[in-house]
Amino acid sequence: QIWVCLKKVPEILNGVIKSVKKEGEWKVLIVDHMSMRILSSCCKMSDILAEGVTIVEDINKRREPISSLEAIYLISPVEKSVRALIDDFKDAAFTYKAAHIFFTDTCPDGLFAEIGRSRVAKVVKTLKEINVAFLPYESQVFSLDDPNSLYSFYSSKPNEGKEKMIETLAEQIATLCDTLKEYPAIRYRKYEKENARLADEVYQRLTAHKADNPTMGEGADKARSQLLIVDRGFDPISPILHELTFQAMAYDLLDIKQDIYSYQSTGIGNSNDREVLLDEDDELWVALRHMHIADVTKKVTELLQTFCQSKRMNTDNANIKDLSQMLKKMPQYQKELSMYSTHLHLAGACMKTYKASVDKLCEVEQDLAMGENEEGEPLKDAMKSIVPVLLDNEIKAYDKIRIILLYIFHMKKGIGEENLAKLIQHANIMADSNIINNLQNLGCNIIAGVDRKQRTESTYQLSRWVPIIKDVMENAIEDKLDRKQWPFISDPAPINTTQTAVSARFGHWHKNKSPTEYRSGPRLIIFVIGGLSHSEMRSAYEVTRATDGKWEVLIGSSHILTPTSFLNDLKSLDQVPNPDC
Amino acid sequence: MRDMLQRLQTISEELEDYEPELYGDEYDVDKGTLSQQAVMFENTSPIDDILKEAHSISKEISLLHLEVERLTINNERFGTSVRRLTLLKKDSDSIARGIQQRGGALHIRLQALGQESGQLEEREGPNSAVSRIARAQHDTLSHLFRKAMNDYNEAEEMQRSACRRRIKRQASIIGTEITDEQLDGMVDKGGEGWTELSQSLQGARSSRWAMCEIKGRHKELVELEVRLKEVHDLFLDMAVLVEEQSSKVNNIEANVCGTQEYTEKINVNVKRALQYKRKNPCQQCCPCLPCWNQNRLL
Repeated sequence: QIWVCLKKVPEILNGVIKSVKKEGEWKVLIVDHMSMRILSSCCKMSDILAEGVTIVEDINKRREPISSLEAIYLISPVEKSVRALIDDFKDAAFTYKAAHIFFTDTCPDGLFAEIGRSRVAKVVKTLKEINVAFLPYESQVFSLDDPNSLYSFYSSKPNEGKEKMIETLAEQIATLCDTLKEYPAIRYRKYEKENARLADEVYQRLTAHKADNPTMGEGADKARSQLLIVDRGFDPISPILHELTFQAMAYDLLDIKQDIYSYQSTGIGNSNDREVLLDEDDELWVALRHMHIADVTKKVTELLQTFCQSKRMNTDNANIKDLSQMLKKMPQYQKELSMYSTHLHLAGACMKTYKASVDKLCEVEQDLAMGENEEGEPLKDAMKSIVPVLLDNEIKAYDKIRIILLYIFHMKKGIGEENLAKLIQHANIMADSNIINNLQNLGCNIIAGVDRKQRTESTYQLSRWVPIIKDVMENAIEDKLDRKQWPFISDPAPINTTQTAVSARFGHWHKNKSPTEYRSGPRLIIFVIGGLSHSEMRSAYEVTRATDGKWEVLIGSSHILTPTSFLNDLKSLDQVPNPDC
Repeated sequence: MRDMLQRLQTISEELEDYEPELYGDEYDVDKGTLSQQAVMFENTSPIDDILKEAHSISKEISLLHLEVERLTINNERFGTSVRRLTLLKKDSDSIARGIQQRGGALHIRLQALGQESGQLEEREGPNSAVSRIARAQHDTLSHLFRKAMNDYNEAEEMQRSACRRRIKRQASIIGTEITDEQLDGMVDKGGEGWTELSQSLQGARSSRWAMCEIKGRHKELVELEVRLKEVHDLFLDMAVLVEEQSSKVNNIEANVCGTQEYTEKINVNVKRALQYKRKNPCQQCCPCLPCWNQNRLL
């Protein structure tokens, strides 16, 4: 029984390409949009070139025929891609020499038959379904790469594609479980009907996958694994609060697109433009991303000092930011030095933006979210604290909307139309005011009635809020999650909470592997409909660590959101969909 | 992972039994002759050339890696072997110099590949298969080369630390402490540094063996520093190259999204147009019709 975790998915994909590698022969790799996103999130060009791929093509673009090379098609089993595949071998002159086809998940019978009837069948050498239809975004976070999901689920406009979309999401989640060899008990949050619908669909797909792959859910501990389906509306606060942990803060305040951070820095060459990918290949990023910003700069500076000392580089404090001197002396350490430089710049940029306007907001936000001030005294006059913010012209419209939303959630009995109109006027945000109305589409209920856990760990004053999902995670693991509010789709296996985590029958083969590689404990997988916030991602790691490795918590959604993208999504909920999407 | 090949072939075979005329001759991928189109024929050879050179460079990089491993293993022997240190030292030096030579030669070949890639982009356009192949090979091989050279640097660094530790330990055995700064100074001064040190140690509790050790290590450190200085420029070149490249270079999505639709070369289009014209049914049946007259202008 091999333990598969999200970290292993890149290996799986590499393995797929490697499986058709022939010494001395190169191949063309052809991808469609979805498979490209999956592959790109796992592997680099150098990885696939190492496995014999010499060029990567987009199946939906017209491509230059390279008939001396065989082609690997890594595609999703959808009509558009299958047509393009068939077209490649339609004419007398084939585009490529042969085809190795890998579908990301189950190919529908109709399309499969079409391929069988076409000339592709004559040139195909490999045809497999790999069951990886999701993006392993981080070691404990996955994404289904559908940023339109919030619209699809919660738009007030009629949406014909909704059924299809639910099926697609369900299938993607099933492939996630398939890859991880999990057959979890499925639960959903009762309040929102879409949750039950999706949960049901996932259950069907999961069962179908298990029929083909009986190893799913095998193992004494796997019987305790759970998959929770929850809607975005269940915690609308986490996605709009200003967070002060590194990753959340950076993505909120700075313009980071596709995980690339751009900045300027003098170096040894002529170019001052730097573009850095923030992913798990950057060990320093992994170490810093959940840290509070106050600790980040200190930590990076410390690490840089230690590094320089160990390499006997003389550093004056003044020079730490001046990479070019250090780089000239020791260019062989470019990778490390640029890593330190990146994170110093990133932390600096966060602090700069924070001091410019955000610091005024954080205290108000935390008080509203917690319903009390830092001393624990209940908030008496919330209106008084938000009016100065709303009247301040320096503060951006979206920041004001975030405050107004938090105020509305704080007012447990809701807010009257007149009062709302006044607030909108004071804030001067007429143009964006539909965001506030649209939030109702999420069925955002007032958080009253949700018992929050009492937490004793000390926190920074401006970071008192804990995402609601963290409470849910902890309760689920302790088997304290209320069955009425979180029903099971089917009767779960009886849970024996006295079972120890590591199964005795594992024997000795795992002794040489690191703990994360052979851990066989149960998993808690959480799927949020409508988008996932960074603070919720962080919760998954924190809760996992707290179980001392006995459980692994994975969390994912159709996409990762930032406060800005969330508000943008909300804004468009009452609009007709863009036909180009 | 589910293997569906059998299933597909069953469908295909069933169809053949049903409608054999649709398939004609069996097409055997490995034996089939490929139709020669002007555009493809031109490009096959340059692609092959690039791939051959890339393959050769990649083999060289693997050999470089092996040499770096050899160096590391040889360095480790210092601590454990009973062989004469001078011989071991000589081995390290020769392996390291070999690595530098290989590295230098590889660097030149990679630069040539980069230039070739640039020329291909100008000649065939940056979107053509051959220039994209050349670019990808160059980028990946540079990446691998850098990694191998970094590993080499790491091996030298480890050896440097080991030597320094041993000198200090031997010195303390004979009753003298040597600080990092003093050691730096000694190494910088080369042979003179040893003379200075040996004079300063005259007074101390001497041990011929310890002094021999220290002398040997010091000499090695000096040689190591010389080697690292020599390879410094190479590292500087590589660093400049990395700085100029965006991190997107190794990113699959950036690569795929950046390519444009393929447009065949003009002469092939004209060929096709002429073919279509000849096959134009209007022409064949009704030459008098006005539509044909218009087509004549093609």
